[in-house]
Amino acid sequence: MTRVPTRAFAGVLALSLAATGAACSSAKPQSGGITTITVMGIPPTTKAAARQTYLDQVAAFEKANPAIHIQTTDAAFDATAYITQLAGGTAPTMLLVPLTEPAGLIARHQVADLSTAAKDLPVYGQFDPRVLENLKDASGKLYGIPTSEYALGLVYNRSLFSKAGLDPDRPPATWDDVQAYAKQITERTGVPGFAEMTVKNNGGWRLTAATYSRGGAMEAQQDGRFTATVNNPQAVAHLTQLKKMRWQDQSMGTNQLLNYNDVNSGFAAGNFAMIISDPGYYTSYINQFKGDPASFGAGAYPQAGGNATLVGGQAVMVNPKATAAQQAAILKWTDFYYLRPQYDPAAGAERAKSNKESAIPVGVPTVALFTADVQQKIADAIKPYVTVDPKNFAPFVSGTATLQYKPEPPVAAQSLYASLDTAVQAVLTRQDADPATELATAQKSATTIVQQAQQ
Amino acid sequence: MTATSGPGLRDGAWSRSRDQAATPASPGGAAGPPPNTRPRRRRDGRVRWHSPLAAWLFLTPALLAFGYFSWWPIVKSVLLSLQQTNFVDPPRWVGLDNFRHVLADPLLLTAIVNTVKFGALTILIGFPLPLLLAIVMSELRRLGGLFRVLVYLPVIMPPVVSILLWKFFYDPDHGLFNSVLGHLGLGPAPWLQTKASALPSLVLLIVWESTGSTVLLYLASLSGIPGELYEAAEVDGASIRRRVWHITLPQLRGMMLILLLLQIIGTLQIFSEPFVMTDGGPENSTVTVIYLIYRDAFVNGDFGSATALSVLLAAALAALSAVYLRLTRRWSAT
Repeated sequence: MTRVPTRAFAGVLALSLAATGAACSSAKPQSGGITTITVMGIPPTTKAAARQTYLDQVAAFEKANPAIHIQTTDAAFDATAYITQLAGGTAPTMLLVPLTEPAGLIARHQVADLSTAAKDLPVYGQFDPRVLENLKDASGKLYGIPTSEYALGLVYNRSLFSKAGLDPDRPPATWDDVQAYAKQITERTGVPGFAEMTVKNNGGWRLTAATYSRGGAMEAQQDGRFTATVNNPQAVAHLTQLKKMRWQDQSMGTNQLLNYNDVNSGFAAGNFAMIISDPGYYTSYINQFKGDPASFGAGAYPQAGGNATLVGGQAVMVNPKATAAQQAAILKWTDFYYLRPQYDPAAGAERAKSNKESAIPVGVPTVALFTADVQQKIADAIKPYVTVDPKNFAPFVSGTATLQYKPEPPVAAQSLYASLDTAVQAVLTRQDADPATELATAQKSATTIVQQAQQ
Repeated sequence: MTATSGPGLRDGAWSRSRDQAATPASPGGAAGPPPNTRPRRRRDGRVRWHSPLAAWLFLTPALLAFGYFSWWPIVKSVLLSLQQTNFVDPPRWVGLDNFRHVLADPLLLTAIVNTVKFGALTILIGFPLPLLLAIVMSELRRLGGLFRVLVYLPVIMPPVVSILLWKFFYDPDHGLFNSVLGHLGLGPAPWLQTKASALPSLVLLIVWESTGSTVLLYLASLSGIPGELYEAAEVDGASIRRRVWHITLPQLRGMMLILLLLQIIGTLQIFSEPFVMTDGGPENSTVTVIYLIYRDAFVNGDFGSATALSVLLAAALAALSAVYLRLTRRWSAT
């Protein structure tokens, strides 16, 4: 009998099993002057053509750099797995990280400082400074190299717009328009006009973007320290509007505990008419969710006085245990595979051609990593290979051009989002929830979170 | 059950004496080796090894496996709860800071209340239900096998698959449950969509998942109750209700006690259901203590706080088990 508590004890602590691995270095032994790096980013086996293209690029790179050997890993970045891999000494040397993660990784010192090594990149000086913002710490040290960036926008179903009597070439530009359009679509088609994510920190992420579009911010800096400002009038205004859409207009459906995948797969299936997303979602809309290309429309992020949108994307970061030689090799590979097609017209055209052959959409608008003239040269070079209908993305391109790009809150963004999830859920699941009260509650935990993160 | 010297044994656990009474001869011939065979069994049931070395050799694999996968992680967790680490730099000793941090978390109280609610509701429904089902099924003269398969089916599904399946069932617009309610002229029910109904909805799923294996254990116990007891009761004219009350339940109480304890411990560790279905929402109404541990460790990367909370939970469960065993010792031994 006495074994029961012991087993329970072991069960309860199973989560910390991960911590038991000996903390050995992940740096691979270097033999014969060859530097080996393990890199993320290879397309999955289900995308055979894209995978082959990637492997061809690896071979070409190794041929050009005989002192570097690349080992690919199929694993995509997963914050949970990365911590345990670090503990067990099996984390890859090069990480490909979504831009929601760098702040936490930098704060916990779980990625390498690339400030010095990055200067060897041939185009280091030509980066648009805004795209490096998410990858720096408070003292200005650089921990990552962006490989692609996007700005959030409004993605909408063109067919449902037509059915509801709306012009599919003119998506809503303001939040008031979004509310009116959603109401009209729901009334005329029976399909919820708008859907928003509320769980796994996505509710907080989306509320932050909406707050930017109304001229507010979730954190403020004073004397070098940040404080949480989640209970701001702009956030209250946004939740109040969502509340009206959910309960008064009934244009947001009844299922509100939606995560990233629920919203994206639901939109592709025609279950919602409008969602907040970025044009890059088009690739999974087509390839993964088998959505109808003709129904896909992208507009700029709806505004209410803020004239801003939140940027996201992907960046290369490096295992803190990597050697200097490995860091240098990773930056070379980053330049070769990710950056060159974005600044060198010949490489850009070649990549566009192979993407087209692999059925990867070509011509989806992204945030330019480099200056505007470089971007224009690339756009001209890839023109013959563009597979998307530019008309469907035109409202996004023209609308986003005038918007300011805002990064995620700099301190403890994920924990901050978690506390905001609760407020968003309250407004969308409880008719009597008061946005100001919910945000006041979130403010209490957010204040502690931001304070503790800076200790 | 270790084979021993037969009936008349008084020091064993609840079910031992019953098993022995039912089968006076020791099963499998384990207690009757030929005189020259070693090792030899002593009167107290323990095996006397010719050389202690052989005993240790047999023990070693189990010791290594338990040591590496159970005991060392426990020790390591206690150490981690006193440290701050990012798994890159050497860990820093921080005394009881992690415990202070965890106890100051405003969500902790919510998580504890939710966990207790989960436990209480799950046991309220999930404890009597399998017992009732097992008793009814053991009385069935026909179709017993079919019902056993049906009851056990949910157990053979991978847990996350059944959780995802129920997520579809609970969908307020297109879900199975609301469709059925609609046909009956009821609903739609909000299921996971409101603070009040999310937790009970998860409890339904948990009971559905766990009932099958509990029923099987009760059925196994029921088959061990000597038929003569029922025959004697029938001769004396006892009704079904009296037979269940005076024979079945007393004979099953050992199994009931252990299953109740395991259910209490199990429900206090609920994680997968809220994690997959509700992410602790809406409005933290399904956040549990284990969920907080997960969030500390894997979302916030704070392993110190996560292990501190794990240690506290383990201590609470150990204390609960000790109290439970003390309170029920008398009942279970007689």
